[in-house]
Amino acid sequence: MRSLRPIIASNGLAIALTVIFVLPITGVLAYSITAPLDDWMAGLGVWLHEARGWRVDLFDTEERFTKIGFAIRSIVIAVGISFLYFWITNWLNAGLSRVRVGKDLGKQTAIVEAIQPWIFVGPALVLLTLFLLVPAFSTLSLSFQEADGTRTLDNYSFLWNPDSLGYVQIRYALRNSVMWLILVPTVCISLGLLIAVLADSTKWGIVAKTLIFVPMAISFVGAAVIWRNIFAGGGIEPQLVENGVTPSYQIGLLKSLLGHTPEYNEPLYSLEFWGNFFLMWILIWVQTGFAMVIFSAALRGVPEDTIEAAKIDGANPFQMFFRIKLPQIYSTVVVVWTTLVILVLKMFDIPYALSANDDDKLLLATMMENARNNWSVGNDNVENLFASIAVLLMATVVPNMIFNARRLRREQKEMGH
Amino acid sequence: MISRGLKHIVLALIVFIWVVPFVALVTTSLRSETASKTSGFWTAFTPTELGHRFGTHDGGEEFVVLTGNIFDRLNMDKDSFEVSGDVISVFFKGRVPDPNNEGETILKRRLVPVGEVMDVRGGEFVFQANGDFTWTFPEATAPRPKNLDVFINQDPVFGTDAFVEVLFEDENVPNALISSFIVTIPATIIPITIAAFAAYAFAWMSFPGRDWLFVIVVSLMVVPTQLAFLPILTGFSGIASWATQLNAWLTDCEATNSCQVASKTFASLWITHTAFGLPLAIYLLRNYIVGLPKELLESARIDGANHLQIFTKMIVPLSVPALASFSIFQFLWVWNDLIVALYIGPNNSNDLVFPIRLQKQLGTFKDQLHLLNASAVISMVVPVIIFLSMQRYFIRGLLAGSVKGG
Repeated sequence: MRSLRPIIASNGLAIALTVIFVLPITGVLAYSITAPLDDWMAGLGVWLHEARGWRVDLFDTEERFTKIGFAIRSIVIAVGISFLYFWITNWLNAGLSRVRVGKDLGKQTAIVEAIQPWIFVGPALVLLTLFLLVPAFSTLSLSFQEADGTRTLDNYSFLWNPDSLGYVQIRYALRNSVMWLILVPTVCISLGLLIAVLADSTKWGIVAKTLIFVPMAISFVGAAVIWRNIFAGGGIEPQLVENGVTPSYQIGLLKSLLGHTPEYNEPLYSLEFWGNFFLMWILIWVQTGFAMVIFSAALRGVPEDTIEAAKIDGANPFQMFFRIKLPQIYSTVVVVWTTLVILVLKMFDIPYALSANDDDKLLLATMMENARNNWSVGNDNVENLFASIAVLLMATVVPNMIFNARRLRREQKEMGH
Repeated sequence: MISRGLKHIVLALIVFIWVVPFVALVTTSLRSETASKTSGFWTAFTPTELGHRFGTHDGGEEFVVLTGNIFDRLNMDKDSFEVSGDVISVFFKGRVPDPNNEGETILKRRLVPVGEVMDVRGGEFVFQANGDFTWTFPEATAPRPKNLDVFINQDPVFGTDAFVEVLFEDENVPNALISSFIVTIPATIIPITIAAFAAYAFAWMSFPGRDWLFVIVVSLMVVPTQLAFLPILTGFSGIASWATQLNAWLTDCEATNSCQVASKTFASLWITHTAFGLPLAIYLLRNYIVGLPKELLESARIDGANHLQIFTKMIVPLSVPALASFSIFQFLWVWNDLIVALYIGPNNSNDLVFPIRLQKQLGTFKDQLHLLNASAVISMVVPVIIFLSMQRYFIRGLLAGSVKGG
């Protein structure tokens, strides 16, 4: 085995180098060879346009079909190359081992077996290193630098120095993040538990569960558009006339229920301070389905005999739930809570879509975007500020990460790996 | 037991709260611009008093008595959202002689009910609840047409005009739809290919450092993606400027001034989404593959199959449920993603993905709520259909790996 080391290393290097050179060149070549397909698609579009008498501009049709053509060949090439990688490496691995050690099958297999796992995990490890690990560390170092590269703590000075850029915003962002972190997971988990219990004991529960689950499929921006109909205001204003007033409507459902008149059309989610709770509600609406499904499965997994025993002892439904079932699914609750906490920490879309520039509604993630767009006035270290907020965000996730890693190690040990 | 009735009521109430926003969305998208702008979606199902404006006639001809119908005038140029119902009143706004001050006029605003005579341009204007009106003058004249505001107790009317408008008359929504597909399909297929191989290696192959690598990979699930944006952007713009130089060197693009290679492209989105999706994918698939019977692998090895053959012939067909549950996750994740596309995706107007387009439409369609909602419905059709048809796999994925960070 020891004598094979150099062969393994050199074969591995050869395979890696081949892949690094061959795949990009194949990609570029494939792109240039298939380029005429775009024109062909455009031609198809024009033909369809004329045959069907479409209403849109001919130019639009042509452009759109070119884009679709480009898309199809990009998809085929991108997917093809990722398959090609596995095929080429496997072929090279077998071929090279045969060339290096001749007919000795045992040695051949040893070489192939040593390289094979790295071929399989290679792309994943490279991508994760390049796109998550290295960036995370370079962001960390960026956050301790001035724009010219000198070491400094100034990027974090908004945490303590009232004169620094973003001092006000970070206070709002931290306050709001704490409120979100406490309220959203708590409400999601309580509602999720409630619905799981109720739905599993009613006949139409499955329908109810599906309906509550559907928001998980839509985007946060979509959810924001949906709830805009409920929370935002507007409509026609009444006009005073001799014999009364003309009809008027408030178009936001909740604003109408609260008795707001159409003139008062400030959306509820824009209210100072209280607006945050309406934004939170949108996230709760989306995520409760998640908690519900997990709890529903966990509750079904509670051993029957413990329930039977409690029944015999005369436990009422509340005792049954809080004393018997809940303690047994406690670990599931923790997992759901962890997931929701991470989700909330990274929350960006909902406040960004509905109240992008409102200091009062900032969260850490929206504050980063705010920093990137609005803080560049006379300051060229915006990127470093951005990095420092990202690091704060990361710092809040680290406990969760450690918790997860520990859990995973434990699971692996239990499974005997 | 808690009373059975209460249980049903509470659950029904929750479901109601969950469903009402969807009803609002779909209803608003099916209403006319005026209706969605002036009245709440819940008024769409019952006759509601809404304001409209109609012109009495086209002008030109001379007459003593003009007869017509308010509904005919209102629906003249429409082929959808036709107004029907009962006329309640006409909003009269004009100057009339002041009874207290001879020779002066005062502004009069009055809701004129059905049957009451109203002075319009010197003629007597009378209308009925069914919309018929007569406009009588003392002698033949050719008055200018008069626009009148009329309040009608309007019957419910729905139409798909908003969908037609955003899909066929506006280029943003079709472009966003195409772009979203372009981003989503490879960003689902590539990570699943890469992750399946890695998961197989983590499950059934032995190599130094395997367990620790796996723990690191899975821990990356919770790393906030925001942390990686700046370096990734720098990296892509480095590659782009390098590609630009290569382009200038290899081709004659300088003649047409088209050497510039964009750094924020669909390809950069694919790779980034692939990398961000890998930890969850590897975790889900590895846990599934590790549970497959080990004898299968061993007997195949004895038969002389290599790892690639075992993987393609045995593991992939057996892992279809796990592959399905990850691909639906990744599909929904990428389709609904805003922030990665915002930072790393193409930013020219034609290539924006749907969530970014929708976010922009929240501003541009502020007064065209029917269009905003129609666009939102279109953005949701694909994920909701996939979600509902593959719900089983989605739930399985949720239960297996409920720690996805993204």
